[in-house]
Amino acid sequence: MSKHPYLRAYLAGIAVPTMLMLVVIIVFVVVRFVFNVPIAIERLLVFPMAVVPNLWGVWNMFYVRLESRRLPLGIHGAALVLLLAPVGFTLARALEIGVVTPGLALTVAPVGLIAYYLLWKHIVGFLNQLLGVG
Amino acid sequence: MNDRDDEKLQELLRNAVGPIADTELKQDLWPRMLGKLDEQTMRASWLDWVLIALLPLWFFFFPEVIPVLLYHL
Repeated sequence: MSKHPYLRAYLAGIAVPTMLMLVVIIVFVVVRFVFNVPIAIERLLVFPMAVVPNLWGVWNMFYVRLESRRLPLGIHGAALVLLLAPVGFTLARALEIGVVTPGLALTVAPVGLIAYYLLWKHIVGFLNQLLGVG
Repeated sequence: MNDRDDEKLQELLRNAVGPIADTELKQDLWPRMLGKLDEQTMRASWLDWVLIALLPLWFFFFPEVIPVLLYHL
């Protein structure tokens, strides 16, 4: 299990948002097509489908790379919010997605930090141990 | 390609790859896998439980955060 640690870290990182993507897509599809809320679903899903999983994978590779200088995994994962949130809001603004507004940022930030902390500490940590990285 | 060609090809492949000795497993690997899974039990601290309890409360008082959080997951 000593070969390709970064590949294994990447796979452990992308696993969680990839599984959650199913929930995300179902919720947005139901909101758009069942409740007929006028949201541009094709633009809305670009960020959670393409950017988020890859950034999780790369962030976990970065965690493995840090070795002795690394923070606890939960804190490391929560720090990803500080990178993802501005990217997400910028993309939402560029793609004119009304659901994500800067006004919500302060309300979402604490819950985002908590969710990321818990997901990284418990689920990504479990996968990292299982795959022999971190 | 006739049968003779097939046999010749099989022989060539056998000679190129060579015999694989001792292909049997020495032991059953499943108990080791189960042991490894058991080692990795989830241990949540009191702080984690507090944070887990905070999430639904937050969603109850600020339901508008749900789509934004989903957007970032």
